[in-house]
Amino acid sequence: MHDPEIDIQEQVIRGARALGARDALAVIVASVLAAAPGPGAAQGQAEGGKLQVVATSTDLKSLVERVGGDRVEVECLAAPDQDPHALEVKPAQLARLRRAALLVRVGLDHEPWLARLKTGVPVVDASRGLRLLQSETPRLRVERKAHVHAFGNTHYWLDPQNARPITAAILEALANLSPADRPRFAANREAFVVLLDAKIRQWTAALEPFHGARVVVIHDSWAYFAERFGLSIVAAVEPTPGVPPSPAELAALFKRMRETGVRVLIADPHSNPSLVRQVAEASGARTVTLHPSVTDGDYLSLFDSNVQRLVSLLGGR
Amino acid sequence: MAELLFWPFVAGLVLTGMHAWFGLHVLARGVVFVDLALAQVAALGVTVAILGGHAVQSEAAYWYALAFAAGAAVLFAAVRAHEAAMQQEAVIGIVYAVSASLGVLALDRAPQGAEHIKQLLIGSILTVTPQEAGMLALLYGLIGALHWILRRPLLEASFNPLLAAARRRRIFLWDVVFYGSFALVVTSSVRIAGVLLVFSYLIVPAAIAGLFASSVRGRLLIAWALGAAITAAGFVASWHWDLPTGPAVVSAFGAAIALVALGFASRRAILMAFCGALALAGLLAVAFPQVEQPWLDAVQEVFLDEEERATRADSLQLVTEASAEIARLRALEQDLRWGAKTMDAEKQERLRQYLAGRSELMAGEQLVLQQLRATARERQRYALGIPLMLMGAGALVLVARSARRKT
Repeated sequence: MHDPEIDIQEQVIRGARALGARDALAVIVASVLAAAPGPGAAQGQAEGGKLQVVATSTDLKSLVERVGGDRVEVECLAAPDQDPHALEVKPAQLARLRRAALLVRVGLDHEPWLARLKTGVPVVDASRGLRLLQSETPRLRVERKAHVHAFGNTHYWLDPQNARPITAAILEALANLSPADRPRFAANREAFVVLLDAKIRQWTAALEPFHGARVVVIHDSWAYFAERFGLSIVAAVEPTPGVPPSPAELAALFKRMRETGVRVLIADPHSNPSLVRQVAEASGARTVTLHPSVTDGDYLSLFDSNVQRLVSLLGGR
Repeated sequence: MAELLFWPFVAGLVLTGMHAWFGLHVLARGVVFVDLALAQVAALGVTVAILGGHAVQSEAAYWYALAFAAGAAVLFAAVRAHEAAMQQEAVIGIVYAVSASLGVLALDRAPQGAEHIKQLLIGSILTVTPQEAGMLALLYGLIGALHWILRRPLLEASFNPLLAAARRRRIFLWDVVFYGSFALVVTSSVRIAGVLLVFSYLIVPAAIAGLFASSVRGRLLIAWALGAAITAAGFVASWHWDLPTGPAVVSAFGAAIALVALGFASRRAILMAFCGALALAGLLAVAFPQVEQPWLDAVQEVFLDEEERATRADSLQLVTEASAEIARLRALEQDLRWGAKTMDAEKQERLRQYLAGRSELMAGEQLVLQQLRATARERQRYALGIPLMLMGAGALVLVARSARRKT
């Protein structure tokens, strides 16, 4: 079977090779469009000597900025709130990606389109070495419904403890690219981790009174978040996005919610509003919309606002 | 069931009532895909509304959608006079493709809307509220009344444009009325039911009715009865077999038209199709022995020796038992998760591990079954595949030859 992961690995090994002839046309077109610095600039180095890094999600962008500080310039391919599964890369982005010193990606099967972009840029796969949830192979789940993600739930950044290994991997990659800056990157990361630890204590304390609270989610994005903060996800309304639940599934869900008194529904910004409304009305649940990715602000403020929303909903019972 | 499906069913009936009528017109005019084009233009309108800072579900978005669709409606009406220079169907296709692409370009600036536009086009008839169904019934009642009053010129413009021209009717004007009201209907229906379902309601009942009646009134009555019956069948299937409702109803429409086609087909055509299928099944079995052909699995016992048959029986029994046990334990796990039952943490962990282990064992048995199936397939490949291929092809030739002799 063809494995996109292996492609990426090969590219890592090959490292930052020069642009091939095959790529030249795309880059010429794109650099005209983007009016970006000319091909005279060294690979991955902008005029100010900053490392050019491309991230596939706003969350990873935020983490790279924390580690790289003012030595990096990070571009994100997916706009906030965009579904990263169905991204269409634009020529200017492609050119920037090929010129970049480093690509930081979510990995697993979160960005299926990335496998077709043979960039030759070193890659940090942020999912490496993390403990994944819902990673049973499809074979073991024969009698259950299929899961969207073949390699496990990809929303691992929603456990803030995972920021630790992710930033460590980013630190290694950045330091390899610019060894002179290693102490600076290490200091940046250390400062971030200290801040992160304090924040995690704060969030955990805020959600502590609701430990074990049962919630229903619209989509399976919240497994990591729930595990970290002691929430118990009892059901997902729409396990496969775009496939509406059947009436029997919905009826069973409503019955369960009414019988067991589960009154909290977590929606994503792109959840189907009429579905959310129907579940809330039929079950008497209150709804909170949490953001699975950084929109404005950074990685830490993402949790600040999600935790705050949850606390005000759970505390208002 | 009733509380969940009642209002969606009412919405389905309202859609039948309006779309069967428009379907007759659309088929007469030969513009089958006009509704997809109008829906796509309406979605473009919603996208522009999002760019303007309005929410997807807002009133403003609806009016944007309507304004865009109305613009397309006037365009379609205007194109009809120039049919000789450019086919109307070509314009409809172009409008569809370009508005879909413009939508993508616009969403590039407002990506948070992409999911919602997708949902808008898929629709969710299951989440219809009583208010929505009521509003839809009211609106379509008004449009229906208007069309009933204006039925003569509208029908002439659709069914007999030459006569309309001879009577000096202003065809462009009546086309604007037709496409304009159609744009309103499509914009409102797609919001609730999605493009696929709306398209089915429009075309299938009207197309089937055209086979059984020639008068407009007869067709309309048949189309209404059919639409209502198929909607009911789709809803029952959706409930019974646990399927998403919208796609289930669309599939029911597909099944209905396939049945009608079978009824109309000559006995010889059916026979030839059957022989062709037989030959194809044989060819597939020879060329790609592992391809999915459930009927080959049904007779696999014959192709296994005694020992293999015993192994298969054992595995089947184990899988059945394990499935039942796993289903029971999963239900228990669900109850625990929902808090309907309680169990101490250690026991819960043991349950989880037991389930994982049991699933693994069952997967092993399924692997055995798969292996036996592959063995049987290898033996079926030539023993069944070649005779089938020859029989099917031979019978096909015979039937075709006897047909030629008769004609």
